[in-house]
Amino acid sequence: MSVAAADPPPAREQHAHRRRLPNWLKANLLLLPTSVWFAFLLVIPTAIIVGYSLGKRGIIDPVHFSWGHLIWSNYTEALNTIYLPIFIRSIEYAAISTLLCVVLGFPLAYWIARFGGRLRNVYLVLVIIPFLTSYLIRMYAWQFILQRNGLLNRLLGDVGLGRNHEFLNHPSAVILGLTYGFLPFMILPLYASIERMDKALVEASYDLGHGKISTFFRVILPSTAPGLVAGVLLVFIPAVGDFITPELLGGVRTQMIGTTIADQFGGTQNWPLGSSMSILLTAFILIGVFVYLRRVGEEAL
Amino acid sequence: MSEPERVSLAFIWDTASPHFSRRTFVRTMAFMGAAGFAAACGSSGNNSSAGTGSAGGSTPFRLSNKPEAKVLNFYNWTDYIADDTIPNFQKETGIKVTYDNYDSNDELFAKMRTGDTGFDLIVPTDAFVVKMKHADLLQPLDLSLITNINNLDPRFRTADYDPGNLYSIPWQWGTTGIGFDQTQVGGSVTDWDAFNLPAVNGKSAFLDEARDAFAMALFALGHDPNTLDTGQLDDAEKYLIDLKKKVKSITSDYQDPLKSGELLLCQAYSGDVFQIQTDNKNVQYVIPKSGAFSWVDNMAIPKGAPHPRNAETFMNYILEPKVGAALTNYVQYGSPNKAAEPYIDKSITGNPLIYPPASVLAKLPFQKDLGENEIEYADRWDKVKSA
Repeated sequence: MSVAAADPPPAREQHAHRRRLPNWLKANLLLLPTSVWFAFLLVIPTAIIVGYSLGKRGIIDPVHFSWGHLIWSNYTEALNTIYLPIFIRSIEYAAISTLLCVVLGFPLAYWIARFGGRLRNVYLVLVIIPFLTSYLIRMYAWQFILQRNGLLNRLLGDVGLGRNHEFLNHPSAVILGLTYGFLPFMILPLYASIERMDKALVEASYDLGHGKISTFFRVILPSTAPGLVAGVLLVFIPAVGDFITPELLGGVRTQMIGTTIADQFGGTQNWPLGSSMSILLTAFILIGVFVYLRRVGEEAL
Repeated sequence: MSEPERVSLAFIWDTASPHFSRRTFVRTMAFMGAAGFAAACGSSGNNSSAGTGSAGGSTPFRLSNKPEAKVLNFYNWTDYIADDTIPNFQKETGIKVTYDNYDSNDELFAKMRTGDTGFDLIVPTDAFVVKMKHADLLQPLDLSLITNINNLDPRFRTADYDPGNLYSIPWQWGTTGIGFDQTQVGGSVTDWDAFNLPAVNGKSAFLDEARDAFAMALFALGHDPNTLDTGQLDDAEKYLIDLKKKVKSITSDYQDPLKSGELLLCQAYSGDVFQIQTDNKNVQYVIPKSGAFSWVDNMAIPKGAPHPRNAETFMNYILEPKVGAALTNYVQYGSPNKAAEPYIDKSITGNPLIYPPASVLAKLPFQKDLGENEIEYADRWDKVKSA
């Protein structure tokens, strides 16, 4: 390398300096595309939904909105106790699925991070691949597996366990679908946390006389908490509002709140009620997330 | 490559980021807010310009003097036309037909709501003719061009969903009754009370359509299926909530489960069941004794269709006796075309499930357009589904 090339002409440097934008603006320019995107696809639609939730319903025009006549009763209607069992059921299914995702996801994430070796990224790709197929198609696939003349029944029939089992239309089918569908959301953040964890801490814990169980709860779990917290949020939130899974794998007794909201925009044609339900559900989840983060500590994230 | 340098796929999930100062945070928020505001202004500007554009465009409703290109864009249900219907029409009129399909009224309705689709001819079911008419998505027909209209059975000229055929010409018709697996049901199915048979407990379903489900309850209770009487609707609502405890699902997607034996009995559209029979001979259809709705699929012209004249020419063509008969002989539904009946196969006209005798026909009314009163049904339907 020549000496001249390592020493750039000073005039050019000055020129470049003059045209440089202030740092704060430069950073914010990076945000411009995302900001416009979110404004169009999050802020404005949310404002529209809030508007709908205060409108009057109609059959020909689904919503009549007027500033002078806001219909607050849409919210009291959404809080009607007939929806309470459906709401509780949604939380129950989502919570069980989240727990199952932790139980299934943690060992796998831990294994990939600690013992995956050179093939770590390959294993991660294997986790992600099913994700590349549409959620709807994956749920239809489960329908084919679980239905009466489906793959599972045929398999059981072939080994002599009877081929007429009813798997669909049962809460466990819905929970299975949710768990399967959202599992990668749990594995990936857990993996990121576990990979970052200092291995020496585990050895130190053993050296200081802690057993395997004690080491897991006192060392591994606290140091992977950020991933766990993120995973729980990423699984629970979409699961609680899901409507495709109960629609395809569930039946008349497994309706979730997402299905009820979807019905308001479909057969029932009550857009204001559906909108107020959506707003309440969103508010509930936001408050839940806030309380959860306060309790488990914001440091975890 | 050394270990720490390796790029991990998991970096996108890395939640640990360099600390954000309060000042950067506030500035960023202010910036995003401003961007959002700008975007909002932009979008409202777009809206107003789009508004004036469409208002200007909708005034010349039909350019009656302008000759149409010899093209017809036809949007019909899947498997719902005879093989030779379109080729013969093209030969006779020189109008070239592009043919496209949909699977559900909801799909059709959603598509029509998006605006100019370029289709000239669609085939919505009666209830959706009403919905589309109210949503201002259909254009009135020029009946002077449809001279064969008198070939229609009078029943279809005065039907409740479109009296006088101002917007629609019937294509094929059927009934909303019960489909069941005769080898599994273990009893005779003649009426709506078949849902109480022990063998079908937890293995039955009814339609996810407010008016169809309520009609079932109202017929079973001996009430008017188009009623607005509060007492009768209360009865029907209670009936459906009780029935819900016995069924497996409320669904309009029953064809595969009924074929496979997952469902043994369900409220079903006649034509769907006849289609299942080609795969599973055990599945039978019955028109319930206490009564059922008739449904009719109808040809209609969407507002803004580029070739409405050609669509009317096609409607007139379908109403020709031999053409209508060929269609029915192929798809095997009831034909609304009275003049076509002599040319329809005896196996179809002689089938009381497709061509019911007059005494049964009297109990097969059409669904009535209730306008804003549909809300009464919609709200009660929500209560049934949430119960």
